[in-house]
Amino acid sequence: MMEKKGSEKWAKAVPGLLALSFLGLLLVTGREARSVEGLDNFDHQGKKLYEAGEATPEIYLSADSGDRNLASFYELRQYPGSPPRIPHKVDLSFSGNETDCLSCHAKGGYSPEFGKFVPVTPHPENSLCYQCHVPLTEEKPFVASDWQSIEPPRLGRSFLSSSPPTVPHSLQLRENCIACHTGPGAVAEIRVAHASRGNCRQCHVPAVQTDELREFQRK
Amino acid sequence: MPVFSYLAIPKSGAKETLCTELANLEHCRIMPADNHEVVVVVTDTPDIATEKVLQETLTGLQSLQSLSLTFGFDDN
Amino acid sequence: MTITIDRRRFIQSAAAGSAIAAAGAIFPGISFGAWPKVAGNTGVVSWQKTPCRFCGTGCGVLVGVVDGRAVAVKGDPNCSVNKGLCCMKGYHSVQALYGTDRITTAKIRKNGEMVEVPIQEALDLVAAKLKETRDKHGKDSVAIYGSGQWTIPDGYVASKLFKGCLSTNNVEANARLCMASAVTGFMTSFGIDEPMGCYEDIDHANVFITWGNNMAEMHPVLFSRMLANRKRRTNVKIIDFATRLTRTSQAADTSILFRPQTDLAVANAICHEIIANDWVNWNFVNEHVSFHKGKTNIGYGTEDHFAFTDQDEAISFEEYKKFLADYTPERVEKISGVPAKDIKYMAALYGDPALKVTSFWCMGMNQHTRGTWINNLVYNIHLLVGKISTPGNSPFSLTGQPSACGTVREVGTLTHGLPHGVVMNEHDRQMAAEIWEVPVANIDPKPTYHTVEMFRALDRGDIKFIWIQVTNPMVTMPNLKRYREGAKKDDRFIVVSDVYPTPTTDVADVILPSAFWIEKEGMFGNSERRTQHFAEIVKPPGEAMSDTWQIIEVARRLGFEKQFPWSKEDYIEKIWEEYRKFHAGPKHEMASYQVLRARSGVQWPFVNGKETRWRFNPQYDPACTNGKDFDFYGKKDNRAWIWARPYEPAAESPDSEYPFWLNTGRVIEHWHTGSLTRRIPVLHNAVPSGYVEMHPEDAAQLGVVNGEKVRIISRRGEIVMPAQINGRGVPPRNMVFVPFFDESYLINEVTLDAFCPISKQPDYKKCAVRLEKA
Repeated sequence: MMEKKGSEKWAKAVPGLLALSFLGLLLVTGREARSVEGLDNFDHQGKKLYEAGEATPEIYLSADSGDRNLASFYELRQYPGSPPRIPHKVDLSFSGNETDCLSCHAKGGYSPEFGKFVPVTPHPENSLCYQCHVPLTEEKPFVASDWQSIEPPRLGRSFLSSSPPTVPHSLQLRENCIACHTGPGAVAEIRVAHASRGNCRQCHVPAVQTDELREFQRK
Repeated sequence: MPVFSYLAIPKSGAKETLCTELANLEHCRIMPADNHEVVVVVTDTPDIATEKVLQETLTGLQSLQSLSLTFGFDDN
Repeated sequence: MTITIDRRRFIQSAAAGSAIAAAGAIFPGISFGAWPKVAGNTGVVSWQKTPCRFCGTGCGVLVGVVDGRAVAVKGDPNCSVNKGLCCMKGYHSVQALYGTDRITTAKIRKNGEMVEVPIQEALDLVAAKLKETRDKHGKDSVAIYGSGQWTIPDGYVASKLFKGCLSTNNVEANARLCMASAVTGFMTSFGIDEPMGCYEDIDHANVFITWGNNMAEMHPVLFSRMLANRKRRTNVKIIDFATRLTRTSQAADTSILFRPQTDLAVANAICHEIIANDWVNWNFVNEHVSFHKGKTNIGYGTEDHFAFTDQDEAISFEEYKKFLADYTPERVEKISGVPAKDIKYMAALYGDPALKVTSFWCMGMNQHTRGTWINNLVYNIHLLVGKISTPGNSPFSLTGQPSACGTVREVGTLTHGLPHGVVMNEHDRQMAAEIWEVPVANIDPKPTYHTVEMFRALDRGDIKFIWIQVTNPMVTMPNLKRYREGAKKDDRFIVVSDVYPTPTTDVADVILPSAFWIEKEGMFGNSERRTQHFAEIVKPPGEAMSDTWQIIEVARRLGFEKQFPWSKEDYIEKIWEEYRKFHAGPKHEMASYQVLRARSGVQWPFVNGKETRWRFNPQYDPACTNGKDFDFYGKKDNRAWIWARPYEPAAESPDSEYPFWLNTGRVIEHWHTGSLTRRIPVLHNAVPSGYVEMHPEDAAQLGVVNGEKVRIISRRGEIVMPAQINGRGVPPRNMVFVPFFDESYLINEVTLDAFCPISKQPDYKKCAVRLEKA
């Protein structure tokens, strides 16, 4: 019941969404499984990005449902980069088997059950989903927390007025840019309009580092 | 159970006041933007009568510059 | 009811979503965040390495720090344990620093009330009480009880003070409840503690057999490494051998269920099959294995002052084979409920020379009244087929605490232990006395109480002063009621060092505020012999002080300045370098402080700048000297020992009056007694309450549905809690499972304090209960 009404409302609010959802379904069935790499050398997976780009049809890259946004994105997180909570109900016996989560979240597309386009995981090679992602079953805290974290990265920060913005977050477990930044399940504010260019890191430089840099000294 | 959401824009410099006032209202959830003078307001009332009272209270707030409806939903 | 709430929430979030989308269109770059922000945040995050605070996997994590606060976590890509991936506990671990009920000042009991005092005054009282008790009631009337969450320096100074200076062997740790059987298993089979393999085995093995081990929830990072391997290599299988269906069963290729305690019989049946089919690796067995038997009918330790010493007797292979004659798969099927064909299937996997097999186990085998035996029996299987100490062939005993290996097993913080060897050995006592600069006569050659007996002694009044650090025995002791009543008796003096209030601080006479994890410098040691250093990354709150420094303060008040001379600036480094002397030599050499500081964990033996990944194998282990393809140098005969250990029933089995098995354990969201993870909002809000897991037909028979209350009654006590049916785990008929993280449902008031007579580790997995609809 809920889903039906919800989607009717959405259909009224966003004309053309139903057409898009039909398209989404086609895409899900039409695409081949992505090749899977290990976790080793996590930051050298240009191949993965390339293949993901290749496997995603042009029309999908430019589709936009507009129904996911940064506020709902961050509401599921404890700090920028934390694994998001599961925002929907999961079966109590949900096993986290690939067939459960990845059947929707590996490839995206329209979910009639939720009346929404499904966000795509940037790391489909990790199949033990509940290792990091938990549902919310109770809102009251055990005791209050004094937890604080930093502001999420600001958008559109370029070093020069016309230069491409830097990548403001770590690429660990998020090497596949197109998962979050393109398609109808993408976050509205960070969706890119030129997803078909594929090689994101040709222009966008990660501005996050892990190791301490050595002091530069010319000998 | 009518559910509505609005963008509330406070009078100049009155964002804090507006947030406090909104937060004190029943059936009302707010999400202030971090870097703009705008607040997202979600209302969820049990019946039409309560909804009417709440809408009057909302539009009567001193710190409020403007309120624009972005979403509406009702069972009936 | 629930559906209405979910529906409302859904519509509300849709409403909020569309408002925000509208805002985004009007104000480009607008941002929201669900969490409170650090004031004056510059956006520059400094990342610092540490091992995770929770389980024994020992994942490397990087903690993001801004303005002296921990604000974020990511997996440490430089740490070979987890290669940049954590689990939900690791990712949210730093939130455990910020519960608003942190203990930040010392408290002492005055006229029945806990009163805040300056920490120095509380330490004065601790030292005075300790001295007074010792003078009045003798050296063995005082005790310290720590844990596998003690850092290595914590455990080291505790041992030095109590064993070296105060001459009592009343030093125990909760690791007794968690891996004592693993230790006695290693000692009896190999003569030297800790796994011969390492996590890299996961990248080589073709078959994984988990023995009573829900790795998917308890060691998720290692489990997902197994899954990744299964995906990447086509020839990988996971066999879940268990007493109930869990998430591990769901992900495994095959799940084989056995009746509680009958793993002993099945392991013997596997060996029977290996011999019957001549899958024995004779070259290996002839060169490297000897056969032994020990005592049988060894008891369960449920009575006070229970004592047992095993006696080994060498036997021949033929005698061993004759012993196994009782364990044909068909006969064992009757005992265990495991179909003979499944036993033969497992035997065939172990026996196939083309397959590399790794066995994993943790509490299922260790919390077992025959824990030492079942450890021996799984080693037997690997030894018969020679699948050991080579990449992918590994009998692998996992640990549950971040430093059960590092602090308890390596430092020897158990009643019989010393940082090197045991108190019973004169040479080991001399070594300790020399390094500690105490007279050798100080170190008592006789062990005193193991954990269960220590709390019994507290109840009886043989122990009158106990200092409890970094653990929560008033939730975790089996047969809990007796030990809580004991701790509350009038002339007992209980000191508790902790970071949050718990049922254990409730019985304390003094509460000392402890610095938590990265609020102090220290080292942990994980399951694969890896020592992991962490620096003080944020400041401890209020007067909170590291557990190490608390002990040093008390030691100095007792007049042991000479043994505890260090300054606050470099005490961890100085303690490490002193401790390291105990482990000099290729069998156990530890890395230097400088190396530990620089790296994300270092495996020992660390010889000539190289880590030892597979022990007993000369290709990797420089301690091998016999010139053969393996050297089991732990035993005097340079062989690994196969033990003839029979099946014996559990201490208490279901009967007509108490027809259900009670099994206890953990869930992925919570760690141990939940005093930390319940203060992490995401984790608490995912699993906010304890529950009893039941088989759907048992539930139907009792007439309860999901969420309805069930009364669980044993001969010790009873408890009422909500039922969970068809949840993430499903026990078989006539078994219930209860996680122990929730202090509002003290399941250990129901459990039995029976233990393995050799390891003295209690069995939390088996006792008899009956159920009533409450």
